[in-house]
Amino acid sequence: MNNNKRSLTAHQDDFFSVVKALLVIVLLLSIAPQALAAGDAEPAAKVVNPGAELWREVRQREAPVAGTTQVAGMDSGVLINIRGEQWRTFRMQQLIPAAGALLGGVLGIIVLFHLIKRGLRLELGRSGNYLLRFKEIDRVLHWFVATIFIFLALTGLILLTGRVVLIPMVGHDVFSVIASASKEGHNLFGPLFLLGVIGLFIRFVSKNFPGKGDIGWLLKAGGMFGGKHPSAGFFNAGEKIWFWLVIFIGLTLSATGLILEFPFFGQDRLIIELSLVLHGVGAVLLVAGLFGHIYMGTAGMEASLESMTSGYVDANWARQHHDQWAEACEAEGAVIAGEELAKKQRLRGTKNRVPDRPAAEEGQ
Amino acid sequence: MARMKFLCDAERCIECNACVTACKNENEVPWGINRRRVVTINDGSPGERSLSVACMHCSDAPCAAVCPVDCFYTTDDGVVLHDKDICIGCGYCFYACPFGAPQFPTTGAFGSRGKMDKCTFCAGGPEADNSSEERRKYGSNRLAEGKLPLCAEMCATRALLAGDGDTVSNIFRERVTWRGSSGLTWGWGVAYSKPGLRRGRGVEGKAAGKD
Repeated sequence: MNNNKRSLTAHQDDFFSVVKALLVIVLLLSIAPQALAAGDAEPAAKVVNPGAELWREVRQREAPVAGTTQVAGMDSGVLINIRGEQWRTFRMQQLIPAAGALLGGVLGIIVLFHLIKRGLRLELGRSGNYLLRFKEIDRVLHWFVATIFIFLALTGLILLTGRVVLIPMVGHDVFSVIASASKEGHNLFGPLFLLGVIGLFIRFVSKNFPGKGDIGWLLKAGGMFGGKHPSAGFFNAGEKIWFWLVIFIGLTLSATGLILEFPFFGQDRLIIELSLVLHGVGAVLLVAGLFGHIYMGTAGMEASLESMTSGYVDANWARQHHDQWAEACEAEGAVIAGEELAKKQRLRGTKNRVPDRPAAEEGQ
Repeated sequence: MARMKFLCDAERCIECNACVTACKNENEVPWGINRRRVVTINDGSPGERSLSVACMHCSDAPCAAVCPVDCFYTTDDGVVLHDKDICIGCGYCFYACPFGAPQFPTTGAFGSRGKMDKCTFCAGGPEADNSSEERRKYGSNRLAEGKLPLCAEMCATRALLAGDGDTVSNIFRERVTWRGSSGLTWGWGVAYSKPGLRRGRGVEGKAAGKD
């Protein structure tokens, strides 16, 4: 009984399998032309975990793969931040060594230059007559920006290079206090620098457009080559370049600094990393320029600091370094005799800012 | 010595955020700070995946490399920790970190950052183990008590694994080998009730023969 049933089913199965086989042959014949035209038959579909594709994308880090998250915060949906490493490598392996090399190199060049050239002396000595170079408001503005910039440069350099330079000297605990104070101070006084730069621009821009003699001044590198001092107006080409560096780099530093100081206006990590790069590079360049500026204003050029302390410069100094301006002043009759100036300053209660050595003595 | 690692199994994570909550509760982190977060990619589409992310305790940690005050250190267990007494809250570690792990409370003036806070692998900080000082600054120190991080211990689907790297990867390797489906288990019927549906789509996976 059971056997019978089984064989019957077996017969039925055989029958159906023959029918199935025939149907398959008919089907195959009907699609054969297309199959031949398409080449080999398609391989059996291989099922790939969609996750594999996803993680390959994430791990190859071609783009930060962003998703959604319940946690608020900057870039919290980003799974892997790829640019952080580029920024870190730039800062630690390029910016910090380059900053050290540039600032050290510029300092070294200035020291060498001074040892060889001993700075620019007043060729004709002092005349005892004076010209007003910078009004009080300009001097106040200059020292305002100077104080803030030197403070920002020091605190910034502490934060940039302290780990390499200061931690080995003072240790982690002490440096942490220094760095924390530097950071707070840098943040506090940073925005004032922007005001200073704007002030400098307003007060000095009219005197800093390219003018007659600038090319010649540059070609002679301000008299370093070619003996005779090249002709210059109120500002020479070097001072003009310094002015525009201060304005452009200063504004860049201010803009990036504000982006960094107030990180809650939706700026993401990319913008902040770019700002850190610009801020660091710009700051190091401007500090290198500052070294040159300080040198030329003090030891590098006799009697030039007076223009920013008393505001008055010796007429001979003006004729030597800014002949066009000196001639214009003399034509206007703006030359002030030494005694007259001393009297003026006594009346104002100003301390003797101008050296009142007699002109004759100085001359010989 | 153990080399502590987290591993989140994206085939198991269901984005319940229990790890986030557990971490926040265990470590009593300040308002606005989440040491751990769950990121979902392709949310709402077939093939969406979620991962629980926190500090990955890198062997060569970018945060430690970039820190201007050098406040990071790695414990004998391979856990990357930092000293909040030295941290100045500059935020550089956050920009360098690939995983967005460092977090900052906005406590100071002008919204400036406070001292950085991040996942400690429930291993506290440089203070004495389980001292009140350590608890106040860094939260729990479960490792010192012989326990693993609470986020992983709480994970309902065992997606988040924490522990010695060798152990964690052995568990994961076994899962990958015997995983029941290839990841196309989208939809209730396919995932749970009708194995035939899976077979019809060719998504039985490597465990088909393992009845």
